[in-house]
Amino acid sequence: MAAISVHQFAPCITCHAWSPDKSMVAFCPNNNEVHIYKLFEDKWEKVHTLQKHDQIISGIDWSTRTNRIVTASQDRNSYVWNLEGSEWVPTLVILRLNRAALCVQWSPKENKFAVGSGAKTVCVCYYEQENNWWVSKLIRKRHDSSVTSVSWHPNNILLATTSTDGKCRVFSTLIKGVDSKESNGSTSSYSKFGELIIQLDLSLSWAFGVKWSPSGNTLAYVGHNSMIYFVDDVGPSPLAQNVACRDLPLRDVLFVSERMVIGVGFDCTPMVFAADDRGIWSFVRYLGEKKETSSGSKYGSQFSEAFGKFYGQSKHGMNNDSVESSKIRGGVHENCINCIMPLGECGTLIRRFSTSGLDGRVVIWDLEGQQDLLDYM
Amino acid sequence: MAGAEGFVEADNAEAIMIRIEHKTRKIESLLKQYKPVEALRTALEGTHAMTRDERCKSAHWIVVHRALMAIKDVDGMLSSLDSEYYDILMKYLYKGLSTGDRPTCEQCLRIHEKLTERAGFGCILRQKLAFQGTALPMYCKRDGLFPQHMQRSYFSM
Repeated sequence: MAAISVHQFAPCITCHAWSPDKSMVAFCPNNNEVHIYKLFEDKWEKVHTLQKHDQIISGIDWSTRTNRIVTASQDRNSYVWNLEGSEWVPTLVILRLNRAALCVQWSPKENKFAVGSGAKTVCVCYYEQENNWWVSKLIRKRHDSSVTSVSWHPNNILLATTSTDGKCRVFSTLIKGVDSKESNGSTSSYSKFGELIIQLDLSLSWAFGVKWSPSGNTLAYVGHNSMIYFVDDVGPSPLAQNVACRDLPLRDVLFVSERMVIGVGFDCTPMVFAADDRGIWSFVRYLGEKKETSSGSKYGSQFSEAFGKFYGQSKHGMNNDSVESSKIRGGVHENCINCIMPLGECGTLIRRFSTSGLDGRVVIWDLEGQQDLLDYM
Repeated sequence: MAGAEGFVEADNAEAIMIRIEHKTRKIESLLKQYKPVEALRTALEGTHAMTRDERCKSAHWIVVHRALMAIKDVDGMLSSLDSEYYDILMKYLYKGLSTGDRPTCEQCLRIHEKLTERAGFGCILRQKLAFQGTALPMYCKRDGLFPQHMQRSYFSM
């Protein structure tokens, strides 16, 4: 069984992040707070509550080396939390947004973080020592709609974004004084802050969940029309592949190796995608049981009723059984999974990862027992 | 990589119309030979190249409609149709459903049921109609798949 632990923390979770030693998990239980739980032997206990935001927190990231938490909320603000003694102390970051902040991620060197927003902008924030505060630089142009997801390239300068305008874009976030000049001169080729390096127009619908592969050579992101896109050799002549998903759309992805991606979304079970020797990506299988009853009503009673009405027959039946069986079977997640986080070192093979969803559960998965998948890695 | 989503810059409209005429003749002959599945495949081929010309779109639809209405054995048809055609077929099923013409709708609905079983929801979601907000299938309105709030104040669409 790939899912090694399931815990119901709240009725609904919007996002989650792990502490550097993976002993604590921080998440937002669909309100304006962040709860931090620690695992004591076999029990999870709440150790901290971070209360400062006014509205739902849409993104959390916890830096591994500097142990800072950054939160982004629909209240248009972002806070950086530092642990002082046993208290988490917030520092307001003035993002200068007039819409919700939707996603946030620390850069690989943890000296910057990026926030995507409903104001069609991306804020790249860095720490200014003299004034002891975080400064926000905005990438205002280019996006035609909300920025749903951001992801940093391993080089700490390139940032990929996805938007509800269907496009995936890569920007340079070179900031003088923060990004020191590399000796190999590669940074000088990323000219100025906010420059659009590449724009990928592969999807006709909302785009979500962009991630870079460990080497930074490949990008993966999903479209709301049940597609997942893989782009190799991101640069002047990228190689894009569209993979159609059979079922409901995905919301987030994670590279567990250079050639394997886990996608999570409305099907409530992680999907595995892998690239073969020729570099062609395709769907491999679901991880764990997909929530399906047998041949009769394939998609659960809610659908079979709708289908029944749509087709004007009760062929699929008002199967009362199917209500029970899908509950008994109890897939691991019972509602959309909207967040997937690695539980290993970034950049190395990731065997373990965690997912959280609208059902309020955090599930930890381990690929150790999945021999057929390990072969792909 | 002009997949089902790529707008291939098609030839001019005249060339397309001529191709469609050829197709129509071929389809009629296939139907006379009682080969409805080949007829449908012929009709669906080449409609990848999306064109903005309204005449071409109508002509494509007429051809596909002719082939669709001639299908009697839906299961058999779907078994012999390559999966690469599923998305396009679904597109034309929705086109048929939107006409409101009773026999067309009945046939399209009959095929839709089987095609969904085979191709899954993804196939339905890949139809552009899903984002017009009007003809959204009821069974796609679940669990926040197209949440109303995503079109309100703090998101700009």
